[in-house]
Parts: sequence; C-alpha cells; structure tokens
Amino acid sequence: MSSWLDYTINGLIVGNVYALVAVGLALIFGVSRLINFAQGSIYLVGAYIGWVAVVQLHTPLPLTIILVAMVAALVGLIIERFGLRPLQNSVRIAPLLATIGISFVLDQLVMLTFSPNPRALPSQLPDVRFQVGGGTIGPLDLLIAGVGISSALLLFVFLRYTKLGWAVRAASQDRDAAMQMGVDVNRVNQTVFGIAAALGGVSGLLVGMYYNQIDTAMSLQATLKGVVAEVVGGAGNVPGAVVGSLLLGLVESYGVAVFGTSYRNLFAFLLLVVVLVLRPNGLFASARQAPPEPLTGTFIAPSRPVRIPRWALAVAVALFAILPLLPVSFYVLQTLINAWLLGMLALSLTLVAGTIGQVSLGHAALLAIGAYTSALLSLALNVPVGLAIVAGGLMSAALGTILISPSFRLRGHYVSIATLAIGEIVSLVILNWESVTRGPIGISGIPPLSLFGYDLIDPKAVYWFSFAVMVVLALLQARLLGSHLGRSFRAIRDDDIAARAYGLSLNRYKSLAFIFGGFAAGVSGGIAAHLYSYINHETFNTQQSILALTVVILGGLGNVVGAVVGAVALVGLPEVFRIAAEYRILIYGIVLLLLVRFRPQGLLGTI
Amino acid sequence: MSNINRRTLVKGSLAAAIAGTTFSRAAFADADPILLGVSGPLTGPNAQYGTQWKQGFDLALDEITAAGGINGRALAYIFEDSQSDPRQSVAIAQKFVSDPRIVLELGDFSSPASMAASPIYQRGGLVQFGFTNSHPDFTKGGDFMWSTSVSQADEQPLLARYAVKSLGLKKLAVLHLNTDWGRTSRDYFNNAAKEYGAEIVVTEGYIAEERDFRSTLVRVRDANPDGLVLISYYSDGALIARQARQVGLKQVICAASSVYSPKFLELGGDAVEDVHVGTRYFPEDPRPEVQKFIAGFKKKYNGLEPDAFNAYSYDAMNMAAAVIKIGGTDRKAIRDAFAKVKDVPSVIFGTATFDVATRRVKGAMNAELVVRKGQFALWDGKPT
Repeated sequence: MSSWLDYTINGLIVGNVYALVAVGLALIFGVSRLINFAQGSIYLVGAYIGWVAVVQLHTPLPLTIILVAMVAALVGLIIERFGLRPLQNSVRIAPLLATIGISFVLDQLVMLTFSPNPRALPSQLPDVRFQVGGGTIGPLDLLIAGVGISSALLLFVFLRYTKLGWAVRAASQDRDAAMQMGVDVNRVNQTVFGIAAALGGVSGLLVGMYYNQIDTAMSLQATLKGVVAEVVGGAGNVPGAVVGSLLLGLVESYGVAVFGTSYRNLFAFLLLVVVLVLRPNGLFASARQAPPEPLTGTFIAPSRPVRIPRWALAVAVALFAILPLLPVSFYVLQTLINAWLLGMLALSLTLVAGTIGQVSLGHAALLAIGAYTSALLSLALNVPVGLAIVAGGLMSAALGTILISPSFRLRGHYVSIATLAIGEIVSLVILNWESVTRGPIGISGIPPLSLFGYDLIDPKAVYWFSFAVMVVLALLQARLLGSHLGRSFRAIRDDDIAARAYGLSLNRYKSLAFIFGGFAAGVSGGIAAHLYSYINHETFNTQQSILALTVVILGGLGNVVGAVVGAVALVGLPEVFRIAAEYRILIYGIVLLLLVRFRPQGLLGTI
Repeated sequence: MSNINRRTLVKGSLAAAIAGTTFSRAAFADADPILLGVSGPLTGPNAQYGTQWKQGFDLALDEITAAGGINGRALAYIFEDSQSDPRQSVAIAQKFVSDPRIVLELGDFSSPASMAASPIYQRGGLVQFGFTNSHPDFTKGGDFMWSTSVSQADEQPLLARYAVKSLGLKKLAVLHLNTDWGRTSRDYFNNAAKEYGAEIVVTEGYIAEERDFRSTLVRVRDANPDGLVLISYYSDGALIARQARQVGLKQVICAASSVYSPKFLELGGDAVEDVHVGTRYFPEDPRPEVQKFIAGFKKKYNGLEPDAFNAYSYDAMNMAAAVIKIGGTDRKAIRDAFAKVKDVPSVIFGTATFDVATRRVKGAMNAELVVRKGQFALWDGKPT
C-alpha cells in the first residue's frame, strides 16, 4: 500500500516539472491560438543561460532566476517581433511552421555555442531531504511546485483583474473586435510572449538543476510533454494546464507501477487521446466558453495557386525520368530517391491536411505501419516484395484510418495534437510488441526491392522504380482532386457546417481521404524498408512527421506538385548545405523561416 | 533559387580553401592524403557522440602523422553529418562509394542509420568499419562489414562476474536502455548472471529520452534486490543513480562500461560515489597503449579525461591505419587486409585481431573500477 503513496508522490513531482512548460504553452495558445513549438527551445536557452550564470558567473539563486527570466523574455520578444508578427495576417498555419523553424534555429545556436555534450547544472539550494513516504523530496521540488502554482495563480489574477489582462482575454476571444475597441493587440501579444518565454526559461533552469543535467536534446521532449499536459487541461486554460500536468504525471507513474517502465509514454499519449475524444475542449472547459477553434475553416486559407502549364510538368517529368542516363553520381540519385519517398509521404499528407483540412502531426506512423507490414510479409511468409509493398500500403490505409477515426470530430489544432499522440502510440506499440516487431532489436535482413523476380539493386533501377510509383500516385491524386470527390473534400475543409448542411457525410469523406493518403504513405514506408534492409522503432520518428508537414506547408497545402517540389527542396537543401558541416541545420532553419516569411501560402500556393 | 546557388558556391569555395590548408599542414612527399569517410551525427539528438568521435580520431591522426604517416602519405578523414538518420546515411554511403578518393568508411552511430547503409557499402565494395555497432546482425550485412565494437556476448559476462562473483550480489535489478544495444546487452547479462547463481528479480527497459526514474525505482525497491545493474550511457546512468539515492535505495550499483566518462562523475555528483563499473581500461592502467592514449588526450584537450567513446574512435583510427598499411589504397585489398592484421595495439582490447568468421574482435580487456572520492579507481576488493 505504501508503494501507491510513493507512486502518487512521484507522479505529482514529475507533473510539477511538466507544469512549468505547460503553463507557458497555455498562455500563448490562449491568446494567439498557436501551439508554440519554440517553447521547448526557450526552455533550452533558459537552462544554458542558467548554466552560464551558475557555473561561470557564480550568481546567487534569486539573481540567477531574474537573469534567466530576463534573457528568456528578451528571446520571446524577438521571436514575437520578427518571427510571428509579420505573419499575423497570413494563413493560420504559417505561424505554426514559423515556430518549428525558430526552434531549429534556437536549438542549433545553443548546440553550436555550448557543444552538444551534456553539462551538470548544480542546484544552488541547500541539500536537505525530507522523508515523504518511502522516498525523499528536496527543496527544489518545493521550489518548482511553488513557481508552477504561483505563476498559474498570478496569471489567473492578471488575466481576470488587470486592464492589460482584460485586453489579453479580449484579444484571445475576438482579435478584430478587440482592435476596434482600441486594444493594442501587438502590445498584448508582446506581453504574453514575454511572460511565457520568461516562464519557459525559468522552467529550463529549474528542471536542469533538478536533474543536475542539461543537454541540447531536451527541447523536443519538453515541448511534447508540455503540449500533452496543456491539452489535457484545456488548451489556453492556465490553471487547467497545471492540473493537466499533475494528472499526466500521475497517469505515467501509475502506468509504470502496473505495466513497467517501457509503457510509460504509451499511457501519457493514451490519456491525451481519451481526453480529446471525450472532452475535446479539455477537462476544465466550461460549457459557456466559446469553442477555441473557429467554426469555419479559416485555419487553412485558400490562395491563388501558381499555375504550371501541363507541358512544363511533362517536360519536368521527362527530364527526371532520363536523369539516370546522364552522367550524374549515385549520390545525387540516392538523394532524389529519398526525395521521391518523402514526396509520396507528402502527397499523402497534403491530401489529408491540405485538401480536407486534417493537419496530421503523426504521419510517420503510416510509414512505419507500411514498412513493418511489407518487411514482415516478405521475411516471414516469403511474399514477393512488390506484392508486400502493396500490402503494406493497404495495411497502412486500413489501420491508419481506424486509428485516426476517433479524431474525426476534432477541429484545427486538436487534430494535429491527436494525430501527434496517435503517431507516438504506434511507435511505442512497435517498441513493446516484441513477439511481432522484435522490439528495439528491429528487423534486419529485409530482402532488397524486386519486381516480377528481378532484383532492383542498381541505384538507377531503384530511382526509376520510386519515381514511377510517385508519379503514378501523384497523377491519381490530381485526378481525384479534379473530381467530384475532390470538391467535396475541399468543401469540408472550407466550411464543414455548410458541407454537412449540403448533405456530405463528414466522417465518410474524412475516412476516404485517410484511406487514399494512408496507402501512399504505406507504400513509401514499404519501399524504404526494402531499401534500408533494416528498420526499428526509431527509423520512422516524430522528426519525420514534422518534416513531412513542413514539406506540405512549404509546397502549398493540397497542392500535388507543391508536395513533390517541397520534398525535393527539403531533402535537397540539407544536402546542399553539407559543405557548412555543423552549421547546415542552422542554415536550413533560417531558409525555412525566410520561406515562411515571404511565401506563407507555400511555394506553389494552396489549392 | 539562383540566389541560394550563388551563396552556396561562395561557401563551397571557402570551405574548400579551409580544407586545403588543413591537408597541406603535413609536408608529405605525396600531396594527396589517403582519405577515410566518416558517417556520423554532428547535429541532432546524438550529436555529442559524433563530437567525441572527432576527438579520438584527431588524436590518433596526430600520432600517425608524427610517425610519418602511412607509407609516406598523410591520412585524413571527411566527416559527413548524418544526424544518425537512415535517410541521410544512405545518401552519404552513395557519396562515399562513388568518391574514388575514399578508401574506407567509418560509422555510423545508431543501428538504423548504419545498417540501412550497409547494402550500399557491400554492393559498392567499400569497407564499412562500424566501430560502435554492437547490433549482433551488423557484420552479417556482408563481407565488407567489420566491427571493433566490443561484442556484448563478451562484455556482459564480465560485468555479471563482477557483480555476482566479486561483489557477491545474489538478487539483481537490471535497468537497461530500451534500444537494440540495451536489449542485447540485457539478455547476455541476465544469462551470465543466472549462470553465476544470481537471481534477476526485476528488469526495466527505458527509452533514451527518459529523465524521470522515480516510479521505476519504486518498482525496483518493491522487488527487494541487493544490487542494481545499469545498462546505460553516462547521462541516463547518472540520472538513475541520483534518483535511486533520492528515493532511498541504498543498494550497491553496478554499471556497464558505457558510463565510463568524466561526465558520469560530473552529472552524478555524490550519488555515483561507490558505483561499480566494469571497464576496458582505466587511468592508472600500466599498459603502454593506455598511458600513451590518456597522456596524449589530456595534452591535446587541455587536461580533459577521455571516455569510452573517445577510446573507441581512437582505436578505430589506429586500426584503420594498420589495415591500410597492409592493404594499400585498393578497396578490395583493404577488405582482405582486415583479415590479415594481427595484434594491433588497442586501448580496448590490448591487442586486436579480427575473428575472420564473425568479422569482429574478441577478448576485450577488463578492469573492475569503483568511484571513490569522485574519481574512478581500481576496486580494492573491499565491500562498499
């Protein structure tokens, strides 16, 4: 029985840690309806500024906290002024992409300045421990709890009883109306970003001290857990974020207690999906509250797509088709093969995200399902590789659609968060379902690509094969978009209430989109599995999902040619910048930011 | 687009100029150095390991250059950043295979990245020398795959002997990284420990990003072990040790050699005091190759203590030099030379000779260390 007390205490302690990030995320979401993917990076910056202060400058703790809060707030203000404000009149999806780009840039800057080696961040508090249950807690636990709860309370008071707080709330409920009433929306945004960033920085410092360890890989994990906690509590709800964090901590801790450590994150993400399905506005949203997402689809604004004449496309396809006959190196071909595989994934995502408006952040899971299906079929049952890849596509279409179906009733950002969670769940199931997937050991010796008994081993053959598959999928999708079905998809995206009034069954059309998209992604994963010969649960990770979304937004949502162009650009750019060695991801992030800044509707425009 | 092209062109010529100066530093008769390709993480979540590789490589290259290079030619490497991502490692593999200057490839770091590239190296006839690839299937990729990674079938029984025979632990809790390395290691460890007569009361696998272990440690406490075994890297190992002491576990802790790093002491602080570590070498090791390595490393990197990954990459570069000395610069001859090299001085193995059947090296050295007063010291046989 005493163990349960310990599990409860441990859950609350770690929930405490999550709360610090979640509060900042909630604040920003509350005002600008934006999941700030850069929040984890500000947390990282805070941790390293803290390290400089503690280890190099030997500042006392109160001064360290003030210093970190100020520097982090400054970073937040810079992000708001130069990264996000220029985008405020463009499509709603553009700021999301901008925060992803900003997080690349910040993480890389920290890594280049401080080297990727983990560092110790010694706690400046006296080392006394209090016995609680079977374990002990220290002064840092209390400080973290204090900071989390008091900042949530202060924010609550600020939002409810101060003039600027009213302005923040007014801006969050209706930006245009607030502006008409004379609220300086920019100043509100600045205030919010400053406060949220200061909080994020301080949380990085405290968590770093808590674990006596900081490293440059901590930012993505912090963002992920923070987002889960925030959404569980009700996106944009600051006290809710604290309760959501504690609940997340408890669920993880009890999950470990009952099933073991390797199931821990599985419970975190299952909690998220369950909450989203049962109470899409979070646990603490009141019925009177206006829905946090607009009823109609301003999430993806249509734009005038760039018209590419048919003959130009035909010439481009012909050029790429004869490319292997020209004297190009296998390296170029291999890079393009990667681009075609990413292109298939992007076609899939541009259909579900762009055409029907379900922005998925867990698309790598479809790759994984296709890859494992194809690999296992060809290894265990000796199914010919060509057939196995098709089976992988079908499995991905079926399983992917079933998994995603609970999120069909969600809108806007909530779809992204639900799919993010579903993607993580698939990856964790692959890790833990050892009898089928061989767990972390992975599947090795997957037979190479072959077609009708001929092995496709030569890079030229692989190139032609993947290019042909992608072109066929692209043609099918273009045909689909031009048909009645494509128009129905877009109607659902642009105004789902009008679409429903017109007699369209939303779930059925969303399923159709996921079936088609799942097939393309599954085929891409299947080809990748046979190309690599070895896959494990890490081969298709969250970064792949984020990359796919970046490709789609960059190319123009719903735009078939755009998806392929985006894939070539985002596979090609890091390769082109190879010459810059350690700096290449930094340059890539900056280029991405510039593209979002000047072409927020994507290179080729939304269709 | 034209803008970007111009910019990269400028950068390209700049980088070429810089590269030119580094190569010309050593005055050798033949101006072109013998080139090795390295595929590894310099950015992304595993970037720290790529940086550590570089330190070991550079030290070994300094010594090789000082000794007159290889048959009168300098040795150099091109490090391509893969982020340990299979998509990038396969492109790098094509790049290396089609670059005739590259005679041998080293890396990659993670199994998915390394083994995805293996078919390309095998078909291209370029040796993929995966010196940290412990995945049991890595060298099964073909006869161009060779590895000096310590086989876990070798290492884990040594750790089990330390824990069970030397320290007399009978009921063990095993915590392992839930990766291919951690899983393989755990299985070898558990088997060996059982053979020595110990009981495994609980095993817990955790993912690499995990930072909070308090609930896991309550599970461990309830299983009532008399010792904890950590199959961890240094950063997670230090976290577990700290939190174990915080939740009130006072049992003996034993850790695999991968925690052997000054960072383990820095990150763990007081909590890693008395932690037992089975390692392949230690600072006071009288072996000349170890003394040369540690003294050289400290001199080159301002007194920094080398760790396990530095040692692997230092050994790998020396092995590459030894192989090229025999095989010359022909790729196929280099593959055949791997089977011919004998007794290459090595920090990890003492002297390394490949087992031609498995294309791996057997017989890693063993040292039983313990952390005393914040330093790694040879265990004196006294219980803690």
